[in-house]
Amino acid sequence: MSSSNGDAQPVKLSLPLKYQQELFQELRQKDELVIIASGLGLPRIVTNLLHSYDAAGNNLILLVGADDRENGWIGEALAEHAAISMSPRARGLSVVNTDMMSVGTREKLYAQGGIFSITSRILVVDLLTNLLNPETITGMIVLHADKVVATSLEAFILRIYRQKNKNGFLKAFSDAPEPFTTGFAPLTSMMRNLFLRQVALWPRFQVSVAHSLEGKKKAEVIELEIPMSNSMQDIQRAILECVEVSISELKKSNTGLEMGDWNVDGALHKQFDMIVRRQLDPVWHRLSWKTKQIVHDLTVLRSMLRHLVTYDAVSFNKHLDTILAAHSPPPGSTKQNQSPWLFLDAAHTIFDTAKRRVYTGKATKNASQDIDSLKPVLEEQPKWAVLAEVMDEIDRDLYFSPQLRDDSNGTILIMCSDTGQCRQLREYLQNMNVHPEEGVIDVEKEKEESDDTDEKEPSAAFMMRRKLREYLQWKEEFKLISAALFAETQNAQNGNNTGVKGGPGSFRGKAPPNKRRRVRGGGSVGVAPTRGTHGNVLAAEDKPSEVASLLSDIQPTEVEATMKDEIVADPLEDMEDYYQLYDTKDLVVIHAFDGDMDEHILEEVKPKYIIMYEPDVAFVRRIEVYRSSHNDRNVRVYFLSYKDSVEEQRYLSSVRREKDAFTKLIKEKSSMALTITTDAHGIEDPQEAFLRTINTRIAGGGRLAATAQPPRVVVDVREFRSSLPSLLHGRNLIIVPCMLTVGDYILSPSICIERKSIKDLISSFKDGRLYNQAETMFQHYKSPMLLIEFDQNKSFTLEPFADLSGSLSSTSSTPNASSDLQSKLVLLTLAFPNLRIIWSSSPYQTAEIFESLKTQEPEPDPIAAVRIGLDGEEREGDQVFNREPQDMLRVVPGVTGTNVGRLVRGAGSLKEVANAEVEELEPMIGREAGRKVWAFFNKSVVE
Amino acid sequence: QAIASKSTGSSILVSTRQKGNPILTNLRSFAWEYSDILADYVLGLTTCALFLSLKYHRLHPEYIYNRIKGLQGKFNLRILLTMVDITNHEESLKELSKSSMINNVTVILCWSAAEAARYLELYKSFEHAKPSAIRGSESKGYAEKMVEFITIPRSINKTDAVSLVSAFGSIKNAVNARPEEIAIVGGWGEKKVRKWCTVVDEPFRARK
Repeated sequence: MSSSNGDAQPVKLSLPLKYQQELFQELRQKDELVIIASGLGLPRIVTNLLHSYDAAGNNLILLVGADDRENGWIGEALAEHAAISMSPRARGLSVVNTDMMSVGTREKLYAQGGIFSITSRILVVDLLTNLLNPETITGMIVLHADKVVATSLEAFILRIYRQKNKNGFLKAFSDAPEPFTTGFAPLTSMMRNLFLRQVALWPRFQVSVAHSLEGKKKAEVIELEIPMSNSMQDIQRAILECVEVSISELKKSNTGLEMGDWNVDGALHKQFDMIVRRQLDPVWHRLSWKTKQIVHDLTVLRSMLRHLVTYDAVSFNKHLDTILAAHSPPPGSTKQNQSPWLFLDAAHTIFDTAKRRVYTGKATKNASQDIDSLKPVLEEQPKWAVLAEVMDEIDRDLYFSPQLRDDSNGTILIMCSDTGQCRQLREYLQNMNVHPEEGVIDVEKEKEESDDTDEKEPSAAFMMRRKLREYLQWKEEFKLISAALFAETQNAQNGNNTGVKGGPGSFRGKAPPNKRRRVRGGGSVGVAPTRGTHGNVLAAEDKPSEVASLLSDIQPTEVEATMKDEIVADPLEDMEDYYQLYDTKDLVVIHAFDGDMDEHILEEVKPKYIIMYEPDVAFVRRIEVYRSSHNDRNVRVYFLSYKDSVEEQRYLSSVRREKDAFTKLIKEKSSMALTITTDAHGIEDPQEAFLRTINTRIAGGGRLAATAQPPRVVVDVREFRSSLPSLLHGRNLIIVPCMLTVGDYILSPSICIERKSIKDLISSFKDGRLYNQAETMFQHYKSPMLLIEFDQNKSFTLEPFADLSGSLSSTSSTPNASSDLQSKLVLLTLAFPNLRIIWSSSPYQTAEIFESLKTQEPEPDPIAAVRIGLDGEEREGDQVFNREPQDMLRVVPGVTGTNVGRLVRGAGSLKEVANAEVEELEPMIGREAGRKVWAFFNKSVVE
Repeated sequence: QAIASKSTGSSILVSTRQKGNPILTNLRSFAWEYSDILADYVLGLTTCALFLSLKYHRLHPEYIYNRIKGLQGKFNLRILLTMVDITNHEESLKELSKSSMINNVTVILCWSAAEAARYLELYKSFEHAKPSAIRGSESKGYAEKMVEFITIPRSINKTDAVSLVSAFGSIKNAVNARPEEIAIVGGWGEKKVRKWCTVVDEPFRARK
């Protein structure tokens, strides 16, 4: 399977399937956008393609849009290829991301050539500063082409590249067809962004794909549909009801938005949150508090749906407890600003049923003396038993049909959704043959007696009992913790509601020992999750005595005591002494779905049996590809899914969505207007360049040379996250990326601009950042400006949708979020009367405004701009900050806008700050602040 | 005419030119009175506002420049309260941005008479206010601060924050926890664990 390219250098490829080879040949010949169904081996094609160039040597190829893991993956694969085909000129992949390389090193690297994967933000800067001359690039390969929208960095990179370099190749890949189908003529505009003319679609149903995968070497698939238990169904139904109510609430309060996709079916889709967020984003700052709350609730509810099928009963209940605690109403709140779903009967059902899956006191209701005793129920996940059966069947199969002559190991591969699930399954499989009731039977012995007639059904009793013990213990602690955490909340509420502090209103946390549940309205005792004053669900308390009896009920039996504790984190010390390699034949490998990495797993493990604990479209295809690629490996696949469950629906709908997307794409492709403009803006319009030299404003044409040089803007490198630099570049302004301490954009020696999106504006008012920024701008520039930039397509207004009448007219009443923004704006202008405010409805508009502001102004000096605001001790380039850790640091009590800089310089990371003693913090931020910081990190919630 | 002699009072001074402006009916929580002033509104000793409707501005583009000139360089803070009442506002706003720099006025946009009135009221009521509200650091309880601290990295939510701290006892322990230990906390999937661990461990400053 080798092909030779023009260089006559033999290249060994690893593309066993026909469609892969076809695609590869096509890609070698022309530039195009490839949209391929997920799971069909996209990374393999990319690496082979890269390798074919790599082996040829003497080139400079850029890989754009790859994330860290893909970098690792591709790098490895390239090295492997190079070793196999022994091509002397292959150099493998060099990765350039923020933290590692200085400008000098990068320049050297680029000069050497080879294949580079560069973070977009760095690449843009390097291209603009000509550190990497676009003309020297042999070609670019764009991954995740679906993310290249007009305003994205990748589109910017491609434009710079195409502007200067018309000969290099350009190939784009995507394995997500859905994003290409939303909006007007999405494929066409996407192609324009990518500067590509051709698109190749490779859905699963494409003829040669289907032909390759559906040959005689099909994998043996056994589908098992498992019914959910009744209580699980109840919970699922209840959650769906909550979802439905939340969605309809959302629709009701936000009319005038396109909400075709907002239904329960859509809510099952993986990206539903994102869809909702994207739709609401344009008006996000105007949304009422309630709407935001509901959007947040939907995420929580959706995660509950998933956890219902993945978590075991005890963990699920525990998770619900945490959710409930976290949604405790804030102090002084009223019914209006709590999550609406908590008021539903369905919510009650969720919490109640989840609890009854773990333990119950209701079963013995008729026996009066037993009324209060709790019994462990410990419902098992239905899939567990099936899994055990399957494992048993495989065992038998292995035993009866001795080794077939094939290449695969006898390994059993179990695939599930995440590592938590992996852990659960591993524990289950380890312990399923331990029976706590038996007490005396030795575990080993029992295994030997496996062909006895009274063989025990495998059960999770051992595991579940241990979990329940842990849970009860945790619950005790958690009570205290949430009491400590939310004490203020409760006090405030008690004050509001009853006026008696610590009275019957202490909702959660320490209930008075003899008052089991909240008594309301004169003594009717509620059943488990009770309703609070506002009618929402509150965590129920169980009598300590009951808990004790429950605990004694599940005390570890002898067998259980002999079992080892679960090891969570193994430091892997003394590894050689304790570990040895197992023969791959008898391994059971449990692994989580991991996107494209799964291909590796299959290749490495070479499993004979695969159990898909959860359905996953891409993985099914990967198995198909794997099976078809290897003549000599037989695979049997067990496919487990809950019948009539969200899990099943989600799987089916994802299949359908992908198919629909491809169908749409094929239709659009057939009628697509060809985009001819391969060159981005071409060379600068000569007429424009001429007109600029003659400024008509100067009567009589006084200073002709003043504006002869092309206009330039100094831009802070951090600003490359936004789309504005790209648009400024599109307007033929020269972008000078620099590390700026003061301001974001420098238009002229006197004009300095701080750009804020609405979201930034709100947050930087909150933490006082904007005030400081304005202060420093005034120290160094004559005309500082605040640019308030609304998003493209976002509504250009600050007002909230409704509730205008109430709070707007009176300044004294409690201000809502947005009117608060207005008052802060007022304060800002009062504090800085000379701060100009620029309002822009979109980045496009901003670019125009910048242009008009710049006319008749001298060009800015980048070197001066960089120096401004630097302390004496600091050097340029010292200023690359990681945003998130610093933002977190700013929240810590005791840290202020003024001392955060010293703390950042003094301590290396958040971890260091957290572990520092007061004495260590003192020299940096002073004693008082140091103590506050220390107290924040060290405050224990357990006490 | 002498300006600002009366503007020390507690009411907003309104120019008679503004008669009939719907803003006035929305000015409810502050007393206002007609007065003979250069600006449209006088909101304090050093603050004044001119009102401009974009609809009007398009018909009479020279109007606002005459008015600004008419202020004769007086007042420290000169607000150009601009009502956005047309949809194709881009061109006008671009021009106003440019001229605000040259003419030393501050543009404030509003989209309704009620909002405009609110701005006027706010300016008047904050006449002597200290800017402490926008200098950050509001005091909050530990629980809120804790939640805020932990939820800053994207994808980590409130529930996760509570479960994390309750599992480890304190933020310090949570910061020092190993990824495997965090992974068994309910709700903490792989992505969140990775995010959290990198955020607490990565240096504040990317070293070069």
